[in-house]
Amino acid sequence: MIIESSDQVSRFSWFKRFPIPRNFKVTRESRIEAGRTWPPSAGAKRVKAFEIYRYDPDSGANPRVDTFHVDLDDCGPMVLDALFWIKNKVDSTLTFRRSCREGVCGSCAMNLDGTNWLACTRFISDMGAKATIYPLANMQIIKDLVPDLTHVFAQYAAIEPWLRAKSPEPEKERLQSPQERSQLDGYYECILCFCCTSGCPSHWWNGNRFLGPAVLLQAWRWLTDSRDEAKGERLDALEDPFRLYRCHTILNCTRTCPKGLNPGKAIAEIKKAIGEREE
Amino acid sequence: MNRRSLRSPLARALGLGSAKSGVLHWWAERTTAVALVPLCLWFVASIVAHSGSDYAAFIAWIRSPLATSCMILLLVALFHHSALGLQVVIEDYVHSDVRFAAVVAIRLGCYGLAVLGIVATLHMALGG
Amino acid sequence: MNRTDNGNSASARPRPLSPNIQIYRPQLTSVLSIANRITGLILSLGAVGLVIWLSAAAAGPRAYGVVQSVIGSWAGQIVLFGCTFAFFLHLCGGIRHLVWDTVHGFELRSIYISGWTVVFCSVALAVTAWVIAGWPQ
Repeated sequence: MIIESSDQVSRFSWFKRFPIPRNFKVTRESRIEAGRTWPPSAGAKRVKAFEIYRYDPDSGANPRVDTFHVDLDDCGPMVLDALFWIKNKVDSTLTFRRSCREGVCGSCAMNLDGTNWLACTRFISDMGAKATIYPLANMQIIKDLVPDLTHVFAQYAAIEPWLRAKSPEPEKERLQSPQERSQLDGYYECILCFCCTSGCPSHWWNGNRFLGPAVLLQAWRWLTDSRDEAKGERLDALEDPFRLYRCHTILNCTRTCPKGLNPGKAIAEIKKAIGEREE
Repeated sequence: MNRRSLRSPLARALGLGSAKSGVLHWWAERTTAVALVPLCLWFVASIVAHSGSDYAAFIAWIRSPLATSCMILLLVALFHHSALGLQVVIEDYVHSDVRFAAVVAIRLGCYGLAVLGIVATLHMALGG
Repeated sequence: MNRTDNGNSASARPRPLSPNIQIYRPQLTSVLSIANRITGLILSLGAVGLVIWLSAAAAGPRAYGVVQSVIGSWAGQIVLFGCTFAFFLHLCGGIRHLVWDTVHGFELRSIYISGWTVVFCSVALAVTAWVIAGWPQ
């Protein structure tokens, strides 16, 4: 009942989705149709079923959900290993992003059993009896599990994620005390996987204008950097009913961050800073 | 490229720029919330304490200066908080041009109802 | 931003949007947040009811009696209990939000402990209020 860290999976098996119609507010081209079921390989003893979202842009068909049966004795322990097993042994058209396979690059972010996480750091044994793999929520899909991250990266660029300082450059580094450096802890480690932004209901409804937790966490990273000299301008750019104040502290972001970071807290710090300069 | 718009992704993300406002709404929501905690608890406690009493007892209760003041403050804080909250809800879910009209209508409705409640309270407190 | 796949096809087929609320798992975070919003909406309607009640009282004992009998009916009592529970849930949730505004209680453990506290406290307070109100004098 009490979650201590974001890598704990939810044990409630009965409340998996909100009680709304399956195709609630789904556009015609996004409607998911029935897919095919791939049989388990012969002689496989420990088999697990994976339901995976598929979309082929060249076929003209709608997205569908295919069911694969993975031989767990032939496959590594993580969900990414299962995806590779399927791609190598069953269906080579299964498409997904991946790179480091150790949870530091953010490429394999996707929706596993209803929550966003990295496929390479989620154990297959932590997935439910009917394991579901969908792409990151509320993203335009290029193919299968590959989302189009152009807009969220544009929102990231919009907050000017670089040092803004008018003071003349020092001979060596811009100095920072250990205490000032510790202010960056918990914010600089973000790998921009966008699990949090993709899991934020406010970003679902207003993602065109609301910046989202990942971008706002990075905005705070630059606000709290003692070497930065543009705090006022940064806060001006953020103080907007949509860019910042669509956040209603829902906290899905903190719950889902695969690096254990706290975007909700960062956003609260931004609001507090803006509130303080008003008083 | 068959894109609907040739605007760059950065331009789309920047939109019309920052409004550079929003903190006053944030402060008002918190101020009214803090005011509502004791006022609402007073109201609920009064209702609970007076449950089952008749009209005369109710009028006697609301006539006391403390009760009248608290009721008026409650109505002001309640409808201001409600207007702010409903505005946020409409901004979240309504994306067409109807949004502006809806926000105006909600605000006017809330303030109108607040005035109605205050006048009714004063009528009972000051009337014969 | 509805780019087609490769721009070759004459029909600009928009990309599908991956499902969001249709498949995203409800968690204590999102459930309590939407509950706070729903109870706020219920209480806004309750505020209208409050003004009706005050106006009826100001109009005289007859109007007041009509409104009281509506509240006293079966349906009225159920609605009133619903409003009481909504009030306490929104109150406890609101206090939780005010604490968050001071940038405290953001660790996941604190979020979950405060969340369950809100749920249990609102049930307890609502039941207590009704027990005390209904206690024979």
